[in-house]
Amino acid sequence: MALPQGVTDYLNENAQNNGAQSPGPADDLFQAGVLDSFALVDFIGVLESETGIKVPDADVKAANFQTLEAIERYVETRRG
Amino acid sequence: MAAYITGSGHYAPEQSISNEEIADRLGLEAEQIFKSSGIRRRRWAAKGTTTSSLAAEALKLALEDAGLKAEDVDYVLFGTMTPDRFIPGSSPAVQKTLGLREVPCLDIRATCCNALYGLQVARALVASGAARRVAVCLAEIQSAFLDLSPASGTISMLFGDGASALVVSDEKTDGALEILDVHLATDGTYVDDLGMRCPGTEFGTARSYSPAEHAEDFAARMVGQSVILQASRKIVAACQTVLERNGLQAADVRWMVPHQANANLLAQVARGLKFPTAEGGVISVLEDYGNTSSASMGIALDVLRRSNRIRPGERLLLPAFGAGFTWGAGLCAA
Repeated sequence: MALPQGVTDYLNENAQNNGAQSPGPADDLFQAGVLDSFALVDFIGVLESETGIKVPDADVKAANFQTLEAIERYVETRRG
Repeated sequence: MAAYITGSGHYAPEQSISNEEIADRLGLEAEQIFKSSGIRRRRWAAKGTTTSSLAAEALKLALEDAGLKAEDVDYVLFGTMTPDRFIPGSSPAVQKTLGLREVPCLDIRATCCNALYGLQVARALVASGAARRVAVCLAEIQSAFLDLSPASGTISMLFGDGASALVVSDEKTDGALEILDVHLATDGTYVDDLGMRCPGTEFGTARSYSPAEHAEDFAARMVGQSVILQASRKIVAACQTVLERNGLQAADVRWMVPHQANANLLAQVARGLKFPTAEGGVISVLEDYGNTSSASMGIALDVLRRSNRIRPGERLLLPAFGAGFTWGAGLCAA
């Protein structure tokens, strides 16, 4: 399952704003400078609106959103 | 019966410590501290200063502001994480220092939400008729507990000492703020992500559990990422809850007076609520005081009240988040 274009666009724009490369599927988004803790909160809002999933507070941890692959897996899990 | 904040005061130790003065010891750059927190300096009390002495000074100012005398107080609440003594609480020390009557004195340990818990309890006391003039004291001397080494640099850079006090009364006076609502919540799942483990019965006291061998358990601990992620979401949700149940939206609120945790977090919350920041509506005293935990919301509220910028009818939103985790939001109206 591919992530919606709006999700990848958001991450690519963040990367560009932070002087980082557009992330590959397995790149660590935090180490690459694409996300930090504050940006992750905004990103989850984008993810929820673009995919229709609801991210409960208990799932708001970096491990679930570390890479594009991890985000895809997480979205699939939430869609059940 | 309605309850009103009729007086406020704040007091901080004289000694102001700049980022430049502590950056080397903490293994950080001064500008890095400011960028990641919005803090440029903080007050640290001289050795031997008690938390209750700061609170007593703040309460004197709050009583003067409310036009009351010490003998008018009929209940004392005291919120702190850094009490004068392990037992008893610090409120009896304020009662003695200010010569208050033999009134009930209750300490609250709800960390950075102490102001909100204090307002909720004070409002309930007034509404029930159990008290007419409640002194809510909020104070910290955190500098005494900080590890000033690089190992704790990103924690110790944040915290300052200070006190605030609010007088909650059943009488509406000029400049009074009605406490319309307080919403509070807790999730103990995160108990280890922010706080201090020892001394206590879970891990031990200095007699049973060596501070030398377990120094990390006797020091402040903070999982920064967890705090930021949970605080950002839970504060916004709490604000939305308190607004919705009062039939309001963020645009109906003129002032946001948050717990002063971190400037970036305040900005995130304002963004999450779509709260207008351009008109100076988010009150921050972080730059000069740092994070004074229990005291911070009261300090910010007192600074705002004394600026004479609050107009009749304006609403104030008071969000907070602290160790526990516990979080919430209060709503007041001028």
